Amino acid sequence: MQAVHIYDGFLSTPVWATMDVAAVPAVGYIVRRAQRGFDDSRVPLLGVMGAFVFAAQMINFPVGVGTSGHLVGGALLACTLGPATAGVVMCAIIAIQALVFQDGGILALGANLVNMAILGVLAGYLPFYLWGQTAWRKLAIFAGGALSVMVSAMLALAELLLSGVPMPGSMLGISLGLFAVSALLEGAITLAVVQALEAIQPGFIRKPATGRSFARGAVGLAAILLAAVGFLFASAAPDGIERLGLQTGVAHSRAVIRSPLADYELDFLRTPWIRRAGAGLAGVGLIYGACWLIGRGVARRRSA
Amino acid sequence: MHHVVLERWSRGSSPLHRRDPRAKFGALLIFLVVLATAHRSLPILSVALLALLAGTLLWARIPLSRALARAAVVLPFTLVFAAVCWVAGDPARGLALLLKSYLSALAVLAVISTTPLPLLLHGLETAGVPRFLLMVAQFLYRYLFVISEEAQHMRVAARSRGAGTREFAAQPARFRAAAGALAVLFARSYARAGDIHHAMLARGFLGHFRTLGSLDFGRTDAAFLALASLVPVLVRVVIERMT
Repeated sequence: MQAVHIYDGFLSTPVWATMDVAAVPAVGYIVRRAQRGFDDSRVPLLGVMGAFVFAAQMINFPVGVGTSGHLVGGALLACTLGPATAGVVMCAIIAIQALVFQDGGILALGANLVNMAILGVLAGYLPFYLWGQTAWRKLAIFAGGALSVMVSAMLALAELLLSGVPMPGSMLGISLGLFAVSALLEGAITLAVVQALEAIQPGFIRKPATGRSFARGAVGLAAILLAAVGFLFASAAPDGIERLGLQTGVAHSRAVIRSPLADYELDFLRTPWIRRAGAGLAGVGLIYGACWLIGRGVARRRSA
Repeated sequence: MHHVVLERWSRGSSPLHRRDPRAKFGALLIFLVVLATAHRSLPILSVALLALLAGTLLWARIPLSRALARAAVVLPFTLVFAAVCWVAGDPARGLALLLKSYLSALAVLAVISTTPLPLLLHGLETAGVPRFLLMVAQFLYRYLFVISEEAQHMRVAARSRGAGTREFAAQPARFRAAAGALAVLFARSYARAGDIHHAMLARGFLGHFRTLGSLDFGRTDAAFLALASLVPVLVRVVIERMT
């Protein structure tokens, strides 16, 4: 997991601001989802399972000679607690890592949450949701673990590339290779732990309902993969995007995606920095306002 | 464990410790934005902001050298990227990555080492972050040490039974053993959560946490927030005017 944590200073202002704005409704939604049909009695459970994922880093799994890896946990939590609940636990983990351990930035929190807690967990659950009750069950659990790490890593790489962090082709290839290895390892660990858990007590593993539409699921899975891969390649080749009509005209912001904040980033790059900082602060204010509104919405719904 | 030191630091009694968590968090966000949006004369600005943070830490009576070392946790990852930037012919960007990520981590550390986490989370709750998520984070932090200790014990136990062997042929067995250990840790954590809940109910838990002191955003806090937000902005204005 450490490999895909993004620190403050890596992302350009439009990227982190957009990801923060995107993370607010997403986190609000999964929190509401996790609370549905769920009483407060399970709050300690989620917290303790988050602590479990932290502690699981101490148990080393041998890989090759002299190296070892450890569990990342998104897919395992999704198979045991359910996707929304697992997402909330991962959100809490990432927030604690950023606040207490300085592992991951505060402004980059939105990006880290979307990469790992929301899309990573979702991608980790999808294969299990689709094929958890079929003959492909083992493969589905393995694929879930691998996919969750791979999707998080590709999103993080794409965000870094969009922010203009230079990454020569060879470096990109090496990091994708490393991520692929850790993704396969995560798949293997997830599968091994699920099997060991079933040996202890089968009730721990959720049983996804049968009769899912195979075609619909496959399309969904392909869409997630394509989106992640496409996002990565689009950001690796910003010239293509620029040719599509987004002339930036500014050397160091060569890759700016069309986003609500992108437009005025272009404007204020040419003006005194105070307006730029003001725009950043306005962004923070906007995020805060959105957080507050969603919080209110959740509270009202809960008390109704 | 190394994070226990944070618990000790955050329970000090300096003027900075006594400020409202919301004031400190607001000032932190402004500091981070000022730093993140800086492009021109970044090295000089970084030195100034580092001095500002160091002054803040000294004012709060946090051991400076240990805080500086703790914030260096971001450096291994950042150094790799800085090296890549260097190779790619953009050393200025590499330096910017290093300075910005290190100073951001130090700023977060300055806030978290002067604010106990329960108070900070309570402050965030009154600022509108979903309470459910914060309660999960609170439990996570509380039991992090307990479950980590348990994992540590299991690791020692596994080592003493020969899990440290480097033999390649033994790897599949070691892999399965590690998976088994994790499964046991999972089951124990699950059972512990049930016990915790029962104990909470027995003590009259009503579904949310209550902190002993109530948060009160007073005039001093407002003054602190105004001052702490203005200083980094002014520092940047002055430096960018001069250069």
